[in-house]
Amino acid sequence: MGKTITEKILARASGLPDVSVGQEVLATPDFVLAYDWPGQTDVMFREMRDQLGIARIAEPERIGFFIDHMVPSVTPQEEETHIGTRKWCSENGVDLFEKRGIGHQVASEVGFAVPGAFAVHFDGHVSQLGAFGAFAVGLRRNVLEAMVRKQVPIKVPATVRIDLEGELPKGVMARDVFHHIVRLLGPSFCRFQVLELGGEGIENISTEGLQTITGLAMFTGALTAIINPSPERLAYALTRARKQIEPQYSDADAVYAQRHRISLDTLEPIVVAPPSPANTRLLSEHAGLEVHTGYLGSCASGRLEELRVAAQILKGRRVHQGFSLHIVPTSHEIMAAAAREGLIETLVEAGAFVSSSSCDFCYGRIATMAAGQRAVSTGTLNVRGRMGSIDSEIYLCNAATLAASALNGRITDPRPYL
Amino acid sequence: MEIQNLKGRVAFIFDEPNFDIDQIVGVKNIKVQDLDELKKHAMATYDPSFVDTVRPGDLLVGADNFGYGHPHYPSMKIMRHLGVAGVIAESYAPGYWRGEMSLGFPQVTCPGILDFVKRWDEIEVCWKEGIIRNFTQGTSISFEPLTQADAALLAAGGLVPYLQEVMGISPVNTQ
Repeated sequence: MGKTITEKILARASGLPDVSVGQEVLATPDFVLAYDWPGQTDVMFREMRDQLGIARIAEPERIGFFIDHMVPSVTPQEEETHIGTRKWCSENGVDLFEKRGIGHQVASEVGFAVPGAFAVHFDGHVSQLGAFGAFAVGLRRNVLEAMVRKQVPIKVPATVRIDLEGELPKGVMARDVFHHIVRLLGPSFCRFQVLELGGEGIENISTEGLQTITGLAMFTGALTAIINPSPERLAYALTRARKQIEPQYSDADAVYAQRHRISLDTLEPIVVAPPSPANTRLLSEHAGLEVHTGYLGSCASGRLEELRVAAQILKGRRVHQGFSLHIVPTSHEIMAAAAREGLIETLVEAGAFVSSSSCDFCYGRIATMAAGQRAVSTGTLNVRGRMGSIDSEIYLCNAATLAASALNGRITDPRPYL
Repeated sequence: MEIQNLKGRVAFIFDEPNFDIDQIVGVKNIKVQDLDELKKHAMATYDPSFVDTVRPGDLLVGADNFGYGHPHYPSMKIMRHLGVAGVIAESYAPGYWRGEMSLGFPQVTCPGILDFVKRWDEIEVCWKEGIIRNFTQGTSISFEPLTQADAALLAAGGLVPYLQEVMGISPVNTQ
């Protein structure tokens, strides 16, 4: 009987010849990741020192820290959190990636997205390392265990396989695939399981697009998402890899809890209406709705192909009078590439406010919305109050829809612009 | 160490699937940490008398995929403060489950729980037998066993005491 990529990664990480669904194992994460966040990492530092008696962490090379939230600081307290993180990382010999971009993206750029690796974080959006064939799980507070012990307990999860076929039509993007999956199968079909994407259609979606899809996996209930490596994704990941690990692949006869097929050819742009990531609708249902602000960015977006499509739509045009368009490239590497391509120039000339990379637009810390305002957003989440007042609203959509909507101040179908 | 059985009344039933627990204190209060302040908001939109009627040991019941969305800690923080001893749901969103279990707050997965209890029924979660007894109705139902790791986490009373135990660190040395 064949094995899934997840079973193979967990077998290696547990030092066992093979593992099966439902088996409880102690697995050694190859990488333990975190961004600094008050109430989370500062508490963890204290717990390690005061309650667990750990003066210096073992194997610091496994660990990666990111400063991407509260960037730049706007209160002394925020800066103090960063100072604490810098100090802890320096004392422990842990690599800190500060102001380089959103950590889940930077993690890929600096070699944590190793095909075949087992990675953990407290934040579940780390699932996007799965685009490169890594098994990456958000443990919330339990990431402390991964910091201080070699192994973490994990029950080998079952896998739901979704095979994609065909190609996305113009104006339909990777995140529409994810929202379509939720629309089709609901917000909990993959609970405590792994979402594995495959099929011949997967190679018609860019690596960036696959990062988007895998990064949103939590909204299906999944522990994480994963995709078998391709030569292109291997080439990206292996040249940056921090650790030599054998890539893994699902066997053709691997056993799945469910299997589904999705044809990309017939998909349409989707908007996710407030107040839940489960509220997926066809764009046509909300076209024409007045919107006041737009955010193109987040760990689920803001990559080159999205900046390109936004620039294509906005080139030579102006953002609607009174509409605030915030564009935040996911990392500085991406921002520099966008600048070299002239995309930044196009976006700025169209009236966009382009910012250096930061997580802070996604949760309303900056570009905060007032009551009654409505946003289109490529962020991760549309729950009430996520981007400001609890009486503001967020419609999640793809980058093309966002750019077209910015031109009109209304939710707009991007396809006529492409 | 054993996990203590949970014995109490069903203090509230959240029968909505994919329930966003932030609704318990209201989205505008999800950053509030002060317990007195949280108490003013707890359950305000569901049952304003809840904070006065809930008793130590009471339990909450939830539907499928309980804890979906982007759950914050204050809702269950105030519930624990009010004496709520655990949650029993048809099923859970993994992020919520992990967050609360790591605090040593018992979560019980019990498909069929919504049909098994009515509000204010007296029930008991018997960990060893893997069943929930409904004393009011004279019935019982089995629930899904915890993983060994989750059972150890609950038995220890949360992540830090659990780590102290498995790492052989004496809590005497701790603050």
